Amino acid sequence: MNMFLHELRENRRPMIIWTFSLVAVTVLFFSMYPSIEKDGDQFIKVLQNYPEGVLKALGVQINSITSLLGFYCYFFLYIMLCGAIQAMNLGTGILSKEVSGKTAEFILTKPVTRVRIMISKLFAVLAILVITNLVFVAVSYMMAKAVAVEDFDVRTFFLISAANLFVQLIFAALGFFVSALFTKIRSVLPVSLGTVFAFFIISMFGSAIGDEASRYFTPFKYVDMSYIMKHSAYEPLYLDMGAALIAVAVGAGCLLFVKKDIHTV
Amino acid sequence: MNVIELNQLTKRYGQSRGIEDITFSVKEGEIFGFIGPNGAGKSTTLRTLLSIIYPTSGSASIFGKDVVKYGPEIKKHIGYLPSEVFYYDKMKVKDLLHYSASFYKKDCKKRIRELAERMDLDLNKRIDDLSYGNRKKVGIVQGLLHEPKLIILDEPTGGLDPLMQQTFFELLKEENQKGATILFSSHILSEVQKMCDRVAIIKEGKLITVEKISTLQERNHKKIRIETKVPVDAGLFALDGVTKVESEEGNRISFLYSGDINLIMRRLAEVQLANLWVDEPDLEEIFLHYYEKEDVQGEHVPART
Repeated sequence: MNMFLHELRENRRPMIIWTFSLVAVTVLFFSMYPSIEKDGDQFIKVLQNYPEGVLKALGVQINSITSLLGFYCYFFLYIMLCGAIQAMNLGTGILSKEVSGKTAEFILTKPVTRVRIMISKLFAVLAILVITNLVFVAVSYMMAKAVAVEDFDVRTFFLISAANLFVQLIFAALGFFVSALFTKIRSVLPVSLGTVFAFFIISMFGSAIGDEASRYFTPFKYVDMSYIMKHSAYEPLYLDMGAALIAVAVGAGCLLFVKKDIHTV
Repeated sequence: MNVIELNQLTKRYGQSRGIEDITFSVKEGEIFGFIGPNGAGKSTTLRTLLSIIYPTSGSASIFGKDVVKYGPEIKKHIGYLPSEVFYYDKMKVKDLLHYSASFYKKDCKKRIRELAERMDLDLNKRIDDLSYGNRKKVGIVQGLLHEPKLIILDEPTGGLDPLMQQTFFELLKEENQKGATILFSSHILSEVQKMCDRVAIIKEGKLITVEKISTLQERNHKKIRIETKVPVDAGLFALDGVTKVESEEGNRISFLYSGDINLIMRRLAEVQLANLWVDEPDLEEIFLHYYEKEDVQGEHVPART
């Protein structure tokens, strides 16, 4: 418990900043919604001038974009992008900053197993992401309520919102695995930004050319917004795949870290 | 009873050298020094004992338990001070120490206050505002706050001023009297001499010898340099226990001497001296002595008196 609380405290500041960023994005987009809703036809006309590939890559569904949930789905892509960066930073940093900050010697000479250390850290990651999302979803919901012209399906709204946490958990697990594999990562940001953008580009490219297979290779595509809109549910296959990916990354990361020599000098 | 036992402990890092076949043991209640030049493998050995890194072969045990298997259990009773102290920069000293204490099922508040007072450490400062020496103090308090049975220190005195060093050594002596075993590494012989009962000497990853400090001191070489007014024959100093005689123009002579100090002083008094230096030899020279012994296989045995 002491290590868990310590991690929360150590990561408090980035958590606040990221939560604030996500909230800012959602507030900004939702406050644009009334004008888009009002001039919906014109907006659609403008969009129709765009090549289809571009629209797909940007996640624009023309027939639903002027509805509240459709618009939410559209800008949720950017929420997920931010969220993924936060999660990957957190997941990668949680181990590697002990090594690069040379505090690993402190924690490793305490009477705790390495597994305990990692479990505490992983729970801290989970807690931070959950807190971030609770705040984000609460603000999003309030904004949606405030700008909505007609009623929207609340269940679908929350399913869309929770997709961020799901994608974040996958990226956090990936980050954790990477940091256990390469314990000597000096700077977390290039690693996490690189990975997240690589997956983001795969996802955009996959959408643009409409390649189904590419969905397997990018966590961003494990949640399909149009599917959620249509069925008010997640796709079981991708849900399972995401869960499996998290389990494998965390498990392998733990195994690696337990066996590893930690060099801080 | 042996608190620490190393059994052919070997740690290799790929091609580069780690430690090779280290075997020695530290008895309960002992203050044990571990000396060698930089890069000899002192830290590697200590870090293996603490299972921060794992041995390639061989084994080590502390309190009779294998260090890899029972690491967390053993560490309840170990206090460790790393050579370079790094902590969570944004924490206050107080918070860090309480965090450290939270790993042991003990109330350490009073002890933290006492130690901080003695080490003259400000508990309310942030870690990243501290100087190197003050960080070291945090490390010391952190290592001693749970009253460990075994204290492991890696080059403990770096950064501490002489006065603080003395306080620190006093603290260690007190802990020792209360029953704590102490293992500490150093490359400064005088530091080790002051504190330790026995020392292990390590060089290039290999254990050279384990000696009682008293034996080491008997064999202690003095490095003597003289400057004379008129050139003298260096052969004058061919006493038992004199080695490495070097003469420069006949009036600057230097040599190593081990043996009865009175004998050499009498001989020196026969010469018209312009100047005289008597130095403690540095570690290298001590090692030299051990290497010579190994090479010549007993032919050159330093005089003992």
